[in-house]
Amino acid sequence: MTTISALEGVHIKGLFGDYVGKNEKNLLSLSENKDLLIIQIVKYKNSLTSIASIQIDNLNLENETLNVSCNNDTRILWNGPNSWLLISTKKKLLKEIIEKFDENNFAVTNLSHSRAIIELEGENVKEVLKKGCPYNFNDLNKNNCLNSTFNGMSVTIDLLDNNPNKARILTLRSFGESLYHSITDSCLEFGYKSI
Amino acid sequence: MLHIRCPHCGMRSQNEFAYGGDASVKRPELNKEISDLEWDNFVYLRKSLRGKHLELWQHISGCRQWFKVQRDTSTHEIFKTIKANEDI
Repeated sequence: MTTISALEGVHIKGLFGDYVGKNEKNLLSLSENKDLLIIQIVKYKNSLTSIASIQIDNLNLENETLNVSCNNDTRILWNGPNSWLLISTKKKLLKEIIEKFDENNFAVTNLSHSRAIIELEGENVKEVLKKGCPYNFNDLNKNNCLNSTFNGMSVTIDLLDNNPNKARILTLRSFGESLYHSITDSCLEFGYKSI
Repeated sequence: MLHIRCPHCGMRSQNEFAYGGDASVKRPELNKEISDLEWDNFVYLRKSLRGKHLELWQHISGCRQWFKVQRDTSTHEIFKTIKANEDI
């Protein structure tokens, strides 16, 4: 079965904005991420269980602000105290997650189909984000993540790389189209390649 | 624009927060007999202070946690932010 992506019919490929006369390699690139496993893991407030011994895809859950535990396939984003967002290309991880996080101590919610994800890459990624988000992106490093707003929409931003900058922006699927237009409007000044 | 230091996430813009009211109001104890007047006071009666005020805020677009903010209502200066289960 083919899934209908959150930006189906919205995401258009091509060159846009102020791209004329610029090297295509230096332009921002914008793409939609789809078919990812997205799981929210929340440890209950009164739970006494320790998270130190639990590993998913050889990654620990770190209770530290902005922290992302990651390997090539999986990223575990700190979402708040005792709250994480796991994003992975390995769909079979779901079984392992359900086995390791018992329902007496953790709330595990599959959000795979409820998020729209835009990936931005290029030197000006932080400049684009600064246009709609009040966070000080100069302080954001590789493998950091944050929850914030972009033009009023709640977003999760995950900085995958910093040479060049590469960010994944997640929002509610219902906000996907609005966020896409907000992001692409912000990119026009620099010129972008939609892929 | 105000900047508020979330005890969990650090310094963030006010846009990410929602105001949650007076943090000094104490809910009547569970199972305790209280009069309608006491209940009415708890639900509706609020001081409108000019000066230092202890408030509840929620980091609604961030970690979604509730916490307390000590703020001057006339200057908007924020003196301290603490977790919801902590006392100043």
